[in-house]
Amino acid sequence: MAPLASGRKTIKRKQVDEDEDAVPPQQELRSNGALEMLSDEEDDGDASSDDGQVDEFPEIIDESDSEDSDYDEEEEEEDDEDEEDENEEEDEEDENEVDESETDADSDDSLHIFPKAKVVTSKITNQPKTVYPEIEPEYDSDSSTEDTPNRVGNVPMHWYDDMPHIGYDINGKKVLRPARGDELDKFLATVDDSSAWTSAFDKNTQSEKPLTSEELDLIRRLYAGENPDASYDPYEPTTEWFTGKGKEEIMPLSGALQPKRRWVPSKWEKQKVMKIVRAIRQGRILPSKPKSTAKFEPYAIWSEPSSSHPPPLPAPKPPLPTNAESYNPPEEYLPTEEERKAWEAQDPEDRERNFLPQKYSSLRLVPAYDRFVKERFFRQLDLYLAPRVQRVKLNIDPNSLIPKLPSPNSLKPFPNYRSLQFYHSNSRARCVSVSPDGAWVVSGDEGGVVSLWEIIVGREVKRWKFEGKIGSLAWCPRTDVSYFAVGIEDTIHFVIPPNIDPAVLSLTLTVLAPATLPPAPTTPSPVKWLTPPSASRSEDTPILTINLPPSTGLPTHFCWHRRGDYLASVSTGGQQGGVWIHQITRRHSQAPFKKIKGAVQSVLFHPLKPHFFVATQQYVRIYNLSEQKLVKTLMPGIKWISSMDVHPSGDHLIVGGYDRKLCWFDLELSEKPYKVLRYHSRAIRSLQFHPTYPLFASSSDDGSIQIFHSRVYNDLMTDPLIVPLKILRGHTVTDGLGVLQVRWCSKQPWLVSSAADGSVAVWCS
Amino acid sequence: MASTTTTNNNDPSHSQSQQQTQAQQPVTFTTSTPYPLPSQKFMIPLGWRRYQLSQLVNKALALDRGGNYDNAGGGARPVPFDFLVRGEILRGSLAEWCKEKGVGEEETLEIEYIESVMPPQKMFEFPHEDWVSAVSCYIPGLFLTTSYDGHLRAFDYAHNLAFDRAVHSAPVTSLCVVPFPSPSPSSSNMGEGGGEEGETYTIATASHDASAQILRVTLPSPSSSFNLNAKEKATAKGNGNGKAQSLATLYLHTAPIASVSANARGTRLITAGWDGLVGVWAWDGERVARDEVDVPVPVFGGVDGRDRKRRRVGAGAGGAGDGDGERGEGDGDGGMDGGRGKRKAPANVLKSHVGRVSKALFLGLEEGEGSEKAVSCGFDSTVRTWDVEYGLCIATINASEKPFLDLSPLSHAAPSSPLSSVLAVSTDRTMCMYDLRLPSSSSSTSALSSAATATFVHPSTPSCVASSGSGSGSGSGYQAITGAYDGVVRVWDVRSVKGAVASFKVGEEGKGKGRKVLSVDWARGLVGVAGEFGVEVWRVGEDGGVGGRV
Repeated sequence: MAPLASGRKTIKRKQVDEDEDAVPPQQELRSNGALEMLSDEEDDGDASSDDGQVDEFPEIIDESDSEDSDYDEEEEEEDDEDEEDENEEEDEEDENEVDESETDADSDDSLHIFPKAKVVTSKITNQPKTVYPEIEPEYDSDSSTEDTPNRVGNVPMHWYDDMPHIGYDINGKKVLRPARGDELDKFLATVDDSSAWTSAFDKNTQSEKPLTSEELDLIRRLYAGENPDASYDPYEPTTEWFTGKGKEEIMPLSGALQPKRRWVPSKWEKQKVMKIVRAIRQGRILPSKPKSTAKFEPYAIWSEPSSSHPPPLPAPKPPLPTNAESYNPPEEYLPTEEERKAWEAQDPEDRERNFLPQKYSSLRLVPAYDRFVKERFFRQLDLYLAPRVQRVKLNIDPNSLIPKLPSPNSLKPFPNYRSLQFYHSNSRARCVSVSPDGAWVVSGDEGGVVSLWEIIVGREVKRWKFEGKIGSLAWCPRTDVSYFAVGIEDTIHFVIPPNIDPAVLSLTLTVLAPATLPPAPTTPSPVKWLTPPSASRSEDTPILTINLPPSTGLPTHFCWHRRGDYLASVSTGGQQGGVWIHQITRRHSQAPFKKIKGAVQSVLFHPLKPHFFVATQQYVRIYNLSEQKLVKTLMPGIKWISSMDVHPSGDHLIVGGYDRKLCWFDLELSEKPYKVLRYHSRAIRSLQFHPTYPLFASSSDDGSIQIFHSRVYNDLMTDPLIVPLKILRGHTVTDGLGVLQVRWCSKQPWLVSSAADGSVAVWCS
Repeated sequence: MASTTTTNNNDPSHSQSQQQTQAQQPVTFTTSTPYPLPSQKFMIPLGWRRYQLSQLVNKALALDRGGNYDNAGGGARPVPFDFLVRGEILRGSLAEWCKEKGVGEEETLEIEYIESVMPPQKMFEFPHEDWVSAVSCYIPGLFLTTSYDGHLRAFDYAHNLAFDRAVHSAPVTSLCVVPFPSPSPSSSNMGEGGGEEGETYTIATASHDASAQILRVTLPSPSSSFNLNAKEKATAKGNGNGKAQSLATLYLHTAPIASVSANARGTRLITAGWDGLVGVWAWDGERVARDEVDVPVPVFGGVDGRDRKRRRVGAGAGGAGDGDGERGEGDGDGGMDGGRGKRKAPANVLKSHVGRVSKALFLGLEEGEGSEKAVSCGFDSTVRTWDVEYGLCIATINASEKPFLDLSPLSHAAPSSPLSSVLAVSTDRTMCMYDLRLPSSSSSTSALSSAATATFVHPSTPSCVASSGSGSGSGSGYQAITGAYDGVVRVWDVRSVKGAVASFKVGEEGKGKGRKVLSVDWARGLVGVAGEFGVEVWRVGEDGGVGGRV
């Protein structure tokens, strides 16, 4: 674009010059906007100047008469050029006329930047010869790069407006701004220099630069609206490509009309299409049928160029045989009998070697290799798909999957072996109870026998016989008195063990059989409290008997309040709801619930608060006895609750069910269990917290007892820690019933369990 | 029946060891027996077993007079030895032991040899109707048993039931023979010389009825004993024709009494009760040396026959105990109730146990009078040493979670040193040895180091322990026997903690009876084992004519 810009500038400059000069062409320039309209005038001007030469182009006049102006302009250019040539090359002036004649002949070459060769008739030989102009090294040589000393490139030159220099030459030296005269100097320059009006201001050198004749010609062409390329000939002669001799078409296109069938729909094609349509409609052709019929086309998998993947690993080489593979190995390579057995017992994949060394005295005796086919097969597999499916062994340490629990050894003591066993003959030992001082055990069976025995020796000291099954036994938790309750059908007996301290005995007697009976309650109760007269008392008979209402059923569960005054009993099997609370001192029984939904399975007194837990088949309800209202309902999610026990702190409850689940409730938290343990394989029968040690035990129909460590923290933020400690096995399952009841010894980490096989076992730490 | 070391003379390994005599082990012998070897290094072939080692010691000491002990004739007999290698009795050959322990041939083994325990032999069997809670072999020629039916029985060596009398209405738990007090404490005469009818002994029994009794039992002379079949006799009921006289009844405890024992001079008795109390009673041979106390009388039911008698006895206690010996001659089944002696208060009550006290006994004699010590153990996992005179707890051993069931002193062979260790069995199936010697710095009540000196593990609950009689046997002072609920009586050497020296099973299988051992007693080579099955007597320890073993 730079040349263009410079061109425009040149034009401007020219205008300025013309204005200054106030020459007649000013009018032409002023009407520059209507360039086309003024072209005629221009032509006229031009024609007037170059009249003589019009006649020298007769052919052009013949062919085109409408483009006179163009033609004239060309002529004018040629004239200008010629004039310049004449100015520059004075030594060729003598040949000018000859030149002109020849230049006319080939007017194409009339404009040349470089001096063109001329054909002159040699004066010596009279033959035409080509004469090239002399080359002046200073001007004509192509040194366009040298004449601009400023090498700053195509940058806006106003950057240097404030500088004393205008750029840098090739050597990096500053090119100083040429001195520019004032307007007077300019005027004088235009007066003195005839070429001043054809010079333009060169920004690069910050000086006036005379335009060359080529540039002036270019300006003129642009000004005239002609093609700026001087070598362009709009009147070239035509070239005949398709006409003329020898250029006739061999297969001429037909000029006949298109037949009608070309644009009338084809009936036959319609028939064919309708046939396919019908077939598709009738389902004979499935349009989206997968192209399963594509034939397998073999292709050369090896012909593809190798990909960028690394080449597959070379197949493993079979190891070289060693001494052990020999048919006659040395003795030390022969396996011993133990090694042979160990080898055979191993999994084939784990064997270190896949053969056993064998010894044959001679090669003739070596039998055929029995695993030849198999071994070759595997070798082929190795070669064919060398990376077979690899058995990825799980890299998980199985120990890491086990939750981090403290070792049971660090949680000692807990019962871990059976110290002794006590047998009830031929009937199930249904219930068991340990005295509060931990020295005596009473156990009852379904034959009506209640046995009292030492916990550490196992010798039966006393035996009572009742009629009917013994449903439940519970020792009174008071330490200043000593008696226990025995539950049989519709009746609760209170029995004093033998060989107790006289002081304790007398106090017990005053509790159970006071000399003056308390006043009978005003409302008649269906429960009768009977004490045999003192004359008929003995150690073999109960000292006190509570006759529950008839058809109440068998009391299967007793629960003493911790003060030992209240006894809650749950009877099952009867028609009525069998929850009764008996108060010993007042000799009074009351049913706390008029009506209760569901069969009550178990009841419990809260160890600290006046709360009362009632477990029906699926729910555990907590009642406040003093306020007579329901506090909470726990939903263990057990189908049938069998037993429950409350932690000595009173904040936790465990519930066991016949569907093998054991639920741990944190009573401070929700009514959903904190933890559900399902470790038994059969129904849970009984469970109990140890009163002092952080232990609880659960017994099940699978004949096992499970001991858990259960640490409860005073910190409310810390969850209870429950660790399974030990599974005690030793009871046999009889008639599908296993261990029916477990009770802890209060002072020691010992457990007493009664089972359906009639045995009562003591488990010691 | 007994698993002891092999006594096979034709041991195949013996000949084999002679083949490979090049493998030898340097060994030094130490011993605490009266047969010491010079302390030098022996090169012992690795194939040797106990038999060869025992032969070596015998030959080196010329105990068998020239090696041919079969025709030695005179009194010198070869002494069989057992060999302890690093606290373990050598059972197989030395090579096996070295291989098992990974001991190379370069190390010098230190082998201690002890006199071998004879394989226990069953001597007698006294079946009982009921469980036998205690047995005593204290009196020579006589076995005393107490049973859960409340009877005290005595058998002599001829299997005769010499005495059978119901002494308590409740099960009897413990029994001890009270030596007659004599001015010289060293002579322990337990028989009183006997009157015209036979010998008289003083026996203390403890019962579930929270009382202990001191009885004077007069046994008939042996000539008057029946000459029937032993078995019939033993099972025959109520034909003991001795006399029994209740001298005193000891009322202190409010719970069953676990044990009663007397000191060696017969001047004091000590009782241990389930209520955590230990009672010390002074005894002068006739009377408990304290005033009578009034005991609240149980009034169960008021009109029960037994209680009525008891009340009557309580009312007339002053006159009942004044030595009417003929009252003990009533029928065997309950005549003792009429013969209650005086109700006596204890000389001292030792209160420190927080749980049931299972055993209390006096420690051995001490020269200085008046500083007699007792030791007791209980379910509170403590072993306490008491100063009896002042009723102070001198020292306490706190074991963790070891409810002790029984205790036995272990008097080492040196008679001059006072009793230093006790063996206690607990329900965690161990027998522990505790050192009772006080640390020299401490003065008053101080906790002894609770770590057991040695622990002996049982497969079942050991219920009772007895150490060998003091100073009588060859291996005495280091050996003890325990009886367990699995019916196995084990003989232990406290220097060998790994396993029992010998063991034998008591009670027959398949009788429908349990086999729990409840009491053992060991004196003069005889071990009385009492339990569910009755009483069995085994010969353990003293050679007793078991020859042929070196």
